[in-house]
Amino acid sequence: MHQRLSLTQPTGLAALPAGGWLALQAAALWPHALWAAGRMGDGSDDPLGLAAIAMLAVLLGRLAPDLRDRAQPGWLAASLGLTAGATAALWALPPLAASLIAALALGAALAAWLPLQTPRLSLAGLVLLALPLLASLQFYAGYPLRLLTAQLSTWALQLAGMDAATSGAAMTVAGRLVIVDAPCSGVQMAWLGYFCAFAAAGWVGLRDGALLRRLPVVGLIVMAGNVVRNSVLVALESRPQGLGSGAHEAIGFVVLSVVCSAVLLWTMRDESRENEHAHRA
Amino acid sequence: MSPFSLRPGLPLRPLSRPGRLWAVVLAIACAATLLLVAIPAQADDAEARRAESPYFQVRSDDPTTDRLPLKATEVDARIAGAIADVTVTQRYRNEGQRPIEARYVFPGSTQAAVYAMQVRIGDRLIVADIREKQRARIEFEAAKREGKTTALLEQERPNVFAMNVANILPGDEVAVELRYTELLPPSEGRYQFVFPTVVGPRYHRPKAEGGSSSFTAVPYLRAGEASATKFDLRVAFASPLPVSALRSSSHGIEVEGEGTNAARVALAGSADDDEGSRNNRDFILDWQLAGEHLSSGLTLFPGKPGEENFFLAMVEPPRAIATAQIVPRDYVFVVDISGSMHGYPLDTAKVLLRHLIGSLRPSDTFNVLLFSGSNRVLNESSVPATQANIDQALRVIGQMGGNGSTEIVPALKRVAALPKAPEVSRSVIVVTDGYVTVESEVFQLIRRNLDKTNVFAFGIGSSVNRHLIEGIARAGQGEPFIVTKPDQAKAQAERLRRMIDSPVLTQVKARFEGLETYDVEPQPLPDVLGGRPVLVFGKWRGEPRGQLVVEGQAAHGAWQAMLPVATPDPDAAALRHLWARHRIRSLSDQEALQGGDAQRDAIMALGLRYSLLTQYTSFIAVDQVVRNPGGEATAVNQPSPLPKGVSELAVGGSLGAEVPSTPEASGWLALAVVVVLLVGAAWHRGGSSARTLWRRPRRPRTALGPFGGAQDRLRQAQLERRG
Repeated sequence: MHQRLSLTQPTGLAALPAGGWLALQAAALWPHALWAAGRMGDGSDDPLGLAAIAMLAVLLGRLAPDLRDRAQPGWLAASLGLTAGATAALWALPPLAASLIAALALGAALAAWLPLQTPRLSLAGLVLLALPLLASLQFYAGYPLRLLTAQLSTWALQLAGMDAATSGAAMTVAGRLVIVDAPCSGVQMAWLGYFCAFAAAGWVGLRDGALLRRLPVVGLIVMAGNVVRNSVLVALESRPQGLGSGAHEAIGFVVLSVVCSAVLLWTMRDESRENEHAHRA
Repeated sequence: MSPFSLRPGLPLRPLSRPGRLWAVVLAIACAATLLLVAIPAQADDAEARRAESPYFQVRSDDPTTDRLPLKATEVDARIAGAIADVTVTQRYRNEGQRPIEARYVFPGSTQAAVYAMQVRIGDRLIVADIREKQRARIEFEAAKREGKTTALLEQERPNVFAMNVANILPGDEVAVELRYTELLPPSEGRYQFVFPTVVGPRYHRPKAEGGSSSFTAVPYLRAGEASATKFDLRVAFASPLPVSALRSSSHGIEVEGEGTNAARVALAGSADDDEGSRNNRDFILDWQLAGEHLSSGLTLFPGKPGEENFFLAMVEPPRAIATAQIVPRDYVFVVDISGSMHGYPLDTAKVLLRHLIGSLRPSDTFNVLLFSGSNRVLNESSVPATQANIDQALRVIGQMGGNGSTEIVPALKRVAALPKAPEVSRSVIVVTDGYVTVESEVFQLIRRNLDKTNVFAFGIGSSVNRHLIEGIARAGQGEPFIVTKPDQAKAQAERLRRMIDSPVLTQVKARFEGLETYDVEPQPLPDVLGGRPVLVFGKWRGEPRGQLVVEGQAAHGAWQAMLPVATPDPDAAALRHLWARHRIRSLSDQEALQGGDAQRDAIMALGLRYSLLTQYTSFIAVDQVVRNPGGEATAVNQPSPLPKGVSELAVGGSLGAEVPSTPEASGWLALAVVVVLLVGAAWHRGGSSARTLWRRPRRPRTALGPFGGAQDRLRQAQLERRG
């Protein structure tokens, strides 16, 4: 078996280290970054994406000593192609769609420099969560989630013996109307739940396959948590005296803590049993 | 070489497993404490308004504060011909032990010209002054702080007012008397006086309305809960003609002197109509005066020396319209086919037009102008409403789809230029969703061409721009119609047909011979329709002599009536306020279209000059005696009874923003909780020290790659050899 001899040292761009390449890659996607920054800055979206960027930076910092000296050509080519596509999409697609392609381009660029064994899915997830997604998710998925939440909450309250009924995205409990409006849809909780999952998976180095198998349950945990939160709040709001804003927030935080704790426990649990199942399969 | 070079910090003392768990619990407790002391993250609400939607009055368990200070409302209306002069007396009494500031939001007629207010405290009478709104508010606040009893009347909407009475001491009875005048034009020969008693719970939609303050929250009593406020109403007629057919569709009434010129009406007292529930619905009184023939009336008011004189002329149609009096009609349908009408709104418009055009008579003529970015007419001039022409028009309209921008100004200009036979009454019917680029010249355009057309506006859709629709109708002395669903189209078309079915006079002109007049409104005059009179306001100077000549075209030819200038009526002071009110409303309409407060100065000047309550002027009465040093008082919002027939859902339901909901926790604090949990989880997982916490977990090599494939390992080995 012959070893390929390297007759020359890499020069020019090829000599750039990983950080330089990634910086150039990010710079090439500046229109999308500008749009995302503007959207977060003008208040049209919650700037939670900054937290995803910060987490990504932490994970990359941890991976820094192990980054490859040379990029994997396949991933690099994919990154360049997606970058071209993201640029063309500036004229053809809505800004968010173009930014999604740009995020994938950046994710591919990261994948090019990561060691082969390094899971990539968690980093890709954080890259996507870094986008200003919440407002759009609320717009498109908010209403279905509200309907689902209202219906499941109604069933939960009926099981608890309360007189509850749904009317669209509103609930009538003991004759009083409580609405499940846009801020009640659970979109924010879903974002935070998946943020926990990707961050935890990246931290412990969970394999992509294992993460992929665990993500659906993350969704279920979030959905269940939102239903529980909504049910408890509706039951308390329907009282004649209603519910104070402090108690309202406290209940929300408690449920969120439980949901995120469950997501972390689920995501970070030992892979060994899954590996055994995989071996037998 | 790595561009990132990080070295962990100082090593920490290892924690035992229970210790790590406690660290996690402590982190959550810190987050909860942070929640209690931190201000929740909010979106930028720099321009957010205070919650301004209706809510239910909550009974206070504090017996020392009287939360229902309004004990009685008394209404005394005097109707002379078509003018009502109404005095509303609100009696506030503090039966508690603490001084209070009472606030009461109450309705008024959209036609009302509130021109005076006075306050009685014991045996003292304080006459209110009219002030610029902000200045009045400042004076009120200052007087309140000083402990003076003071009353402030503000306009929230043209038909919603707010009364604030500060420093009502325990045992005080404060009577606030306000006076307004209102014109009662008859419709189809019947007159109607409406006294609104309660403001219905409104869906709050924040908006700027020509500088007026936004609608304030109104507390309501629960459904079925009677108001403790007594309500009494009396109407006295001083009519030039006998009053007949006095009826009230809302309340039981007692009538005296029906058939005479001086009838009197009072609310009936009955078991079903007890005082506690009289004020949960508008009071409506109908009667008749008109004769059989087309009649005109002229009233002159002489101002004091050096002041202005006013007149009011009313051209009223006869009650029964004989067929011979119907003049040929011409209709121009101006249909919005812009992109915003695409789909459901245009479908609704098509149904409406089928009813409108389909009900035309063969003696009528019509034309259709379709507009979006450009416009086109079906025919260069109006065509007879034969079945063939109607079918062709409906066919063309049926093929239209919504597309393009919405330029109504050029369309209306083209309509104004369409040729019209002189003896024909033309009605322009605008069908739009109201999402138009409108400039003030639309109003001017409509007004300038009033002597040739009446303009009716149909708003199509559930989110129609009612401001525009109503404004266009007002400018065109027409009526607004709102059609939200196709199944309403037929009824609304029929309503329009009835309204313009019998134009009696066209090209109406009114002029004075021998009397100098100026500031006449409206200019020009609309056609006289079967249902409504034409009203002309204005000022005059010089000697009151000469005659009013009203002329126009009737079905049988030219028509003219001459009315001698009557002796000025010194009791007709209401004309002064009615003229100013009419002018203010025109300016307000214009301002609503222009946006902002473009007409603020003009409206305020009229309000101050003629002592009228407007969106820019308020009444304030201050008792100079300091009776509550320090000005400490409890603010009390007087609740209104829930309007009859309105369910509690209107307050606690979808029409009120106080409906409780279940929003998620604030974004940033939620993120803080998540970060704490992540740190805790990471620490628990492998945090014997900061160094080990930071170190990546080393995964033992297995046959499984990132996705579990053995090929990945072979590939890795190949790459490493190359690499």
